[in-house]
Amino acid sequence: MSGTLALSWRLLRGGGRRGLLGAGLTAVAVAVSTMLLLFAVSANAAFQGRADREAWRNPVAAGEGTAAAAVQAVRRDYVRDRYVTVVDVAVLKPGTAPPPGLDRLPEPGEVWFSPALAELARGLPAGELADRFPERIAGTVGDEALVHPGELVAVRGQAPDSPVMTAVAAADPRTGTAPKRVAGFTGSPTPDAQAYQALALIATVLMVVPLLVFGGAAARLTVARRDQRLAALRLVGATPGQVVAMTAAEAMITAAGGALAGAVLYGLLIPVLTRIEIAGGPWFASDLWPGVPYTSAVLAAVPLLVGLSAVVGLRRIVVSPLGVARRETPPAMRFVRVLALLAALAAVPALGAGAAAGVVAVVLGLVFLAINLAGPWVVGMIGRITARTARGPAGLLAGRRLTDDPRAAWRTVSGVAMTGFVAGFIGFLSPASGLLGDADAATLRLSVPAAQASRLTAEARERLSAADVAARVEVTGEGGRRILAVAVGKAAGDGGKAAREDDGTSGGPARAGGGAGPARADAAAVDRARTALDGLVPGRGATTAADEDLPGVLLLADIGTGTVVVLTVSFLVAVVSAGITAASSVLDRRQTYALLRLAGTPLKVLDRARRAETLIPLAVMGGGSIAVGVFCALPFSVSAVNAGGMAVLLVCVALGFAGVAGAGAASAPLLRSVTADPAPRPD
Amino acid sequence: MNVVLEGSGLVKRFGPAVALAGVGLAVGGEAVAIMGPSGSGKSTLLHCLAGIMKPDGGEVRLLGQRVDTMRERERSALRRTRFGFVFQFGQLLPELPAEENVALPLMLGGVRRGEAVRRAREWFGPLGLGGMEGRRPGELSGGQAQRVAIARALVTRPAVVFADEPTGALDQATGHDTMRLLVEATRGNDASLVVVTHDPQVARWCDRTVEVRDGRVLAGGPARDGRDRDGRDRGGPHAGPGAPGPYAGHAQGEPVTQVLPGADR
Ligand SMILES: Nc1ncnc2c1ncn2[C@@H]1O[C@H](COP(=O)(O)OP(=O)(O)OP(=O)(O)O)[C@@H](O)[C@H]1O
Ligand SMILES: [Mg+2]
Repeated sequence: MSGTLALSWRLLRGGGRRGLLGAGLTAVAVAVSTMLLLFAVSANAAFQGRADREAWRNPVAAGEGTAAAAVQAVRRDYVRDRYVTVVDVAVLKPGTAPPPGLDRLPEPGEVWFSPALAELARGLPAGELADRFPERIAGTVGDEALVHPGELVAVRGQAPDSPVMTAVAAADPRTGTAPKRVAGFTGSPTPDAQAYQALALIATVLMVVPLLVFGGAAARLTVARRDQRLAALRLVGATPGQVVAMTAAEAMITAAGGALAGAVLYGLLIPVLTRIEIAGGPWFASDLWPGVPYTSAVLAAVPLLVGLSAVVGLRRIVVSPLGVARRETPPAMRFVRVLALLAALAAVPALGAGAAAGVVAVVLGLVFLAINLAGPWVVGMIGRITARTARGPAGLLAGRRLTDDPRAAWRTVSGVAMTGFVAGFIGFLSPASGLLGDADAATLRLSVPAAQASRLTAEARERLSAADVAARVEVTGEGGRRILAVAVGKAAGDGGKAAREDDGTSGGPARAGGGAGPARADAAAVDRARTALDGLVPGRGATTAADEDLPGVLLLADIGTGTVVVLTVSFLVAVVSAGITAASSVLDRRQTYALLRLAGTPLKVLDRARRAETLIPLAVMGGGSIAVGVFCALPFSVSAVNAGGMAVLLVCVALGFAGVAGAGAASAPLLRSVTADPAPRPD
Repeated sequence: MNVVLEGSGLVKRFGPAVALAGVGLAVGGEAVAIMGPSGSGKSTLLHCLAGIMKPDGGEVRLLGQRVDTMRERERSALRRTRFGFVFQFGQLLPELPAEENVALPLMLGGVRRGEAVRRAREWFGPLGLGGMEGRRPGELSGGQAQRVAIARALVTRPAVVFADEPTGALDQATGHDTMRLLVEATRGNDASLVVVTHDPQVARWCDRTVEVRDGRVLAGGPARDGRDRDGRDRGGPHAGPGAPGPYAGHAQGEPVTQVLPGADR
């Protein structure tokens, strides 16, 4: 075995400049694949990490009969257009392990700020934020308890009998959880975090499948170039075992180098990647570092997969020593491939918005693979049509080449086809941003018990005027729950929209000068009002309609970001794979190209043929897979198609097309150089 | 003899190695065999004559026109229109059927595809390739593939056909058959032939043999006997594709046919 390895190493090094170039192409392909694979793996681990770090803020009530260690209440407060997560903790059992991120159990009257909150509280006037936390600042919430570095979190110590700890459930579960008696500060992942994990999983499938296809193609590249040499070895009597071992070893040596380079590249890229904002904030570098086990697993798996793929590609040569020496009319691709795609597509309507994320991921993966199966068939078809209708030599060459090796042509365009699928799928799904109108950001609302409505209204007016906030306070709503509405920026007693449905505590027609637009209010004044009203109703903060829309706004932004990330990854794969396959096809055919040029064939014709070879299937397959992607998105489509988003995605796809075309054109100098040899010989 | 192609004082160096040390060779409507030991400079001479390489010294003229001073683009066009090439192997595009391989040079010259394929097909019968029009190079035997290559070299009706060990990859019997077809077909189409070969028997079908050694021409002389050794005459291909190609009187000036012996058009 070591003899085989040594021989493979010599073959690899002795391959000459072009042989090394070929190995280099494979290494680059593997490096890019590894880098993106690590990213895909890390993205899942990163969301997992976020979910874990957030879990303690989603308290699980202590079981019946279990002694509670503490009471915990979580509330979502707002400052400017950001969340502040306020966690109130009352310790019942001394000696309980402190909450994550805290060095000790909080005492009543103490508060811990996350670093970002501490900074913001210092930066804003006290009346806008800091005054909401009159407690003594006892420390900083550690990173291990924060979803992201910019998160605003406050942890307060409370007495078990304080009003906050005995408050009733909030009207809206999204704004917080009622005080719970907990056995410890562990909790469970929030539904939001789980949703993000599911989305990350789907995004991973969308990224990893093309990556694997690309990696396999890269591996077969090594084989394609080695075909002749290995067939020769086989002819001189190397056993199939030796040939297989040598090929696998050669591919794996190359791949190991590429994988290592990819891991280093990924490491260098982490600082950039951490800046991608999802769910309101960027990432910790540690989130995106997949850790030694995952990294070594990827570093081990990639060369193995490449080696395996190379061996599979070798089958032909091993079966017959003449293997590739003879070029025959290839059997046409079987139609079964298309049937596979149709079957996979037939499963799509069974999906729906209610389908489990795992099932969606599996079906998407299947459609992906089916596209990859059907691709060569369609390319072969395109080739036959092109060849039949071609007038000039370039079209004829392109068509015949497509028909001759549809798989190779497919490898060049599969990346963009896959991206087209992703773009079609996400593009159709992205909800229009216009769905969320301009919500009222100036009217704070606070639900109050009906019995205390008038007392609280009076106190609110008092607090607001003490804080020097001009606002109109009124009570709306029926029954036991009333809403205290505070229109910031309007003179007290000034009528407004909210007054129309009110109970008559105030009235009067709206005044034109009274701030006609409901949303346009001084954000600082709103925050002063929020701060003034803080604690008016224990355990509850005043919110505007815009605050309540914030999750939706963030989700939309995240879908946009996710789309851009997934598309960027796919395009990278597509462009790199197009460049590499184009270059390697020049290398593979250098003798023929050189002889053609020698006989006076203009390079222009060869270049045009190579361009047509890529662009024709690119256009057809790219368009086709966008359509398939849209079809797959149909069952999930909940809203009208987002025309703007679709346009952006189409621009992205067009850029991808241009990238692939450019990557193909980049191999033109290579063609020039390999055909410059006046006496081409097969190597 | 009407000289069609002439190289004189050709010098070619590869670094310190001298591949050609002042070679002269004139070809005029005849078949010339270039012989000599391995590494003596035969291929280099052929490449210089065919405008594939620029010699370091000396000149090459086609019908009096300097070839060696042309720019690559012009030489490329010249190779495409006035020369034909047959190599040892590998010049056929594996994914094109035989007839399209033959038609390709015509299409490169602007002939419509249907017409080009029709004219290409005319070569198959005379070359003994009847019924193989639709086969891929991989589905042909070595000798058949070389005959397709011969058709491809001649389909544009070139002034000179260059062949570098065209039968080197074939067994002797097949090689001889192929070689004779090459010689006869070029003659039948009024083209000159420059062929590099190691096989003295192959050289016998040519009109003349040039011996190259260490980059110099040793001796030249007519082959002992040639065309009629087996009583075969030069029928065959030229009878088939009768229509003159688009290059029969190409822009370079005087129609080649005027200076070629046996011009019957
Ligand atoms: N591209 C090149 N670079 C360097 N030296 C070269 C090159 N091509 C040819 N030579 C050298 O020039 C000399 C003549 O080579 P050439 O190929 O013309 O020989 P040949 O007569 O065709 O040999 P053979 O019968 O083996 O084909 C040789 O010594 C060869 O090593
Ligand atoms: Mg030679």
